[in-house]
Amino acid sequence: MSTTEIPSEVTGRVWKIVLDPGAKVDEGDPILILESMKMEIPVEAPCKGIVTEICVAEGDAIVEDQIIAILEN
Amino acid sequence: MKAAVLRELNKPLEIEEVSISKPGPREVLVRPIAAGVCHSDLHFLDGSYPYPLPTILGHESAGIVEEVGSSVTYVKKGDHVITCLSAFCGHCDKCLTGRLSLCQSPEVSRAPEDEPRMKKGDETIHQFLNLSSFAELMLIHEHALVKIKEEMPMDRAALIGCSTTTGVGAVFHTAKVEPGSKVAVIGCGGVGLAAINGAAIAGAGMVIAVDMMDSKLDIAKSLGATHTINASQGNAVGEIIELTKGGCDYTFEAIGLKSTTEQAWQMLGAGGTATVIGMIPVGTMVELHGVDFLSEKKIQGSNMGSNRFRVDMPRFVDFYLEGRLHLDQMISQHIKLEEVNNALNALKTGEEARHIIMFEE
Ligand SMILES: [Zn+2]
Ligand SMILES: [Zn+2]
Repeated sequence: MSTTEIPSEVTGRVWKIVLDPGAKVDEGDPILILESMKMEIPVEAPCKGIVTEICVAEGDAIVEDQIIAILEN
Repeated sequence: MKAAVLRELNKPLEIEEVSISKPGPREVLVRPIAAGVCHSDLHFLDGSYPYPLPTILGHESAGIVEEVGSSVTYVKKGDHVITCLSAFCGHCDKCLTGRLSLCQSPEVSRAPEDEPRMKKGDETIHQFLNLSSFAELMLIHEHALVKIKEEMPMDRAALIGCSTTTGVGAVFHTAKVEPGSKVAVIGCGGVGLAAINGAAIAGAGMVIAVDMMDSKLDIAKSLGATHTINASQGNAVGEIIELTKGGCDYTFEAIGLKSTTEQAWQMLGAGGTATVIGMIPVGTMVELHGVDFLSEKKIQGSNMGSNRFRVDMPRFVDFYLEGRLHLDQMISQHIKLEEVNNALNALKTGEEARHIIMFEE
């Protein structure tokens, strides 16, 4: 088993959390949706696995490179 | 209503029947008459800017108000409007300091727990940039539109909704180009051409258009470029340094690439300002030589021309009607919604000016 930390590529705000901890994901599944400069930006699973942690809450401000979710695969 | 839905990246948009919600208190239902197919739509189609799917692209349109929400007083049914993605809340720190285009208040869209503005059965169709104009109807916040004169043709008005405002606004508001100054614009798509036209209106002394295609450079000349450089035939940076005898006062990058952004910086003379308008793919880094900061060069971003669109767009309409803003040559074809995929493909090859979708009135 290995752990994958998912960073945000942009500075923005968490608009919607799509999946909760425990959810199974395939590569490309959206985990949460950020909002930055009027754009909704989905954060997708980089690989197959299980979401072990969502590190942010809806409405949180986030910065580039901040870890926003953790997967185990 | 009929809409062109993006379901999978890099696949053709599908024409589908989609349902649209009723206007909430501060929302307006708009029937678009014309919708431009903009280069930025491609960035979302190819995934260089990720977006939740399914969605309906399109963010450059003009139309007629169909229905207004209970609290809306600014417009009424029948008014002619241009839509704008720079929806503003009107009371955040950005709005109150006059930087409306930087407003990020979530209140101009519906909250995640609310009924979505568009659906197909139970499936949410994500609204694109709070607009989604490749559809027969648009449900938008009242602060995402501006009233315009009825004598303004709708297809030209649609262009003002994005490319004109982005290009001319970058010149007027972001860079504040001074009369007599030396300007270069890299990339002669819709936005770059608008920047060239804007620089001419602002009274720039030298307006140098840079592109790889002679056909676009010809249009640039008709919009006020004083010089053109075909970048496929040599070193554009060197040519500009020579032509300007030491570099530009203002450069504008209107493509969205690392290489051309770095060139926009290299083309500056001492004290010059580079303005990056193009959308550089998420995750791309840009590199500059640190020593250049000693010559007080500046580089800045520009989003939607730093607009205050309710002030700017009616002015641009007047510029067009007075013959100072040239929009006629920006349009290459009028098409039907069903032909939108052809228009997107044509944008990829970069050969043609803009396609405008016309909806039946
Ligand atoms: Zn656009
Ligand atoms: Zn605001």
